[in-house]
Amino acid sequence: MKRLFSSMRDGLGFDIALVAFPLGFLLLMSGLPLVYNVVMSFQEVDMFSLGTFSRPFVGLRNYTDLFAQPETYPILLNTLIFVVGSIAGQFLIGFGLALFFWVNFPGASWLRGLFLVSWVMPGLVVGAIWGWILSGDFGVLNFILRETGLIDANIFWRSDPDYSLYAVILANIWLGTSFNMILLSVGLSGIPGDLYEAAELDGANAWQRFWTITLPTMRSTIGAIVALGLIFTLQQFDLFAAITSGGPNNASNVTQYWAWELSFRQYDFGKGATVSVVMIVFVMIAALVYVRSTRHEVRG
Amino acid sequence: MNGTTRDRLMLAIAIVMAAIYLFPLYWMYVTTLKSGSEVFATPPSFWPASPQWSTYAFVWESRNMGRYLWNSLVIAVGSVALISVLGVGCAYVLARYRNAWVDVGLFLILMLQVLPASLMITPIFVGFSQLGMLEYPRLAVIIAIAAKSMPFFVVLVRATFMGVPQELEEAALVDGNSRIGAFFSIVLPLARNGILVSALLIFMQAFGEFVYSKSIIQAAELQPASVGLNSFMGPNTNEWNNIMAYATMYVTPILAIFVLLQRRIVSGLTSGALK
Repeated sequence: MKRLFSSMRDGLGFDIALVAFPLGFLLLMSGLPLVYNVVMSFQEVDMFSLGTFSRPFVGLRNYTDLFAQPETYPILLNTLIFVVGSIAGQFLIGFGLALFFWVNFPGASWLRGLFLVSWVMPGLVVGAIWGWILSGDFGVLNFILRETGLIDANIFWRSDPDYSLYAVILANIWLGTSFNMILLSVGLSGIPGDLYEAAELDGANAWQRFWTITLPTMRSTIGAIVALGLIFTLQQFDLFAAITSGGPNNASNVTQYWAWELSFRQYDFGKGATVSVVMIVFVMIAALVYVRSTRHEVRG
Repeated sequence: MNGTTRDRLMLAIAIVMAAIYLFPLYWMYVTTLKSGSEVFATPPSFWPASPQWSTYAFVWESRNMGRYLWNSLVIAVGSVALISVLGVGCAYVLARYRNAWVDVGLFLILMLQVLPASLMITPIFVGFSQLGMLEYPRLAVIIAIAAKSMPFFVVLVRATFMGVPQELEEAALVDGNSRIGAFFSIVLPLARNGILVSALLIFMQAFGEFVYSKSIIQAAELQPASVGLNSFMGPNTNEWNNIMAYATMYVTPILAIFVLLQRRIVSGLTSGALK
């Protein structure tokens, strides 16, 4: 007993105690729900069987039901459009801004940091602001588009099934661009400057320098950021809740919102868990890519 | 073109880009000062004709914002406290050693970091309801947030501990300190700034948290401001000046903290998230 205490105070026991509690907590509150989710996806769980552990097992019925539902494939397609559109927008605008601010001028780093306000704001607030900007009759975006002659009639961004998904994508691009830009800036600042000096002496122009030096040296950073973007995009829930609620008629619904709707609007927890399991597999794959591309840094 | 002209030109372009990017924020603030009819004017006015400051007091009273913000604060402070108590030691150990076990721990933490809250809420809700945790909804939300955000905190704080030279700790041990003594009197003070910035980031996230609170907290008296904002925005709302006033009162404290501590927050974020 005494040895145990002195080890706690002075030896390896101290480290093990420090790491065991948090990891135990994480496994209990994050790992266990993950397993429970899989179990529930094979059960029938509704409002009545919520409180008991003895719920009927239904085998793969939740899964077969899910893929037989008419709305499943449109929602999966929406998720794909949402992910690709958001990441492409966030990454390209973010990269452009990062390259611009890379040119050092007084005030550059402060102004660049200011962009990050979009990232620290609560998602619901961002959703509320964009909901108002995108509003059909009186939204300021429609006004600007009309004045510049891009559209003739107002677009009902939030209620038109052709546009509602893009309304959320637009807000999500605004939300995530700054984070992409900051991370890309960090990557850019890590490129040794003498590479560029040497290329300039050899007569390479800015365009050639970008394609032969900047992009190749940034490759692992870009991989990590795209994987991280995928992870963040699949976590996006607040904007859907605030702007379209997945509507109209699921036109802007994506899997991560749908899973919640199935559980907490239709009280079909088994179905919600099933959608979650399917999506978590995708997220895990993205996480593996992310961990692989940052492995060297993580090890220190 | 000499250096100064170029600098000024770049700065001007940068300011224009920042202004475009931050326009949604400006639009939120301007809308709060418009009267009910001015909100729906065509063309929209970009500067309020006669600022309606009373909107704030009206929304604060009628939407019970004091209560909502208090609940947000309770949830955010509780989450930060729980995450800090558990996460700091974990990050320290993961920074101090380099072996296969640490790699396994880090891998585990990174994998748990990515689980979307809206997908995890189903099993967490069912599990909590079976354990009777829904009787204490705010505590349940705090625990759920802690499980979700702790990995991010550990990754950030670990990067801070990596920057503390291990020789200092070894010197303290040679001088007769115990491990606990060296940890509290040498390592922790040196890593203080990094820990504070990471805690601040967690605080901001938890202050705006929505999915868990929306699903777990049924009683309106216990709901945070994010859920309150959501119930304020019905599908056919037209009170946009009031909604923007709500959003303004909710988000301005966060924006103020961010602008004041911007440099530290950005550098803290970039040191850990990705190098």
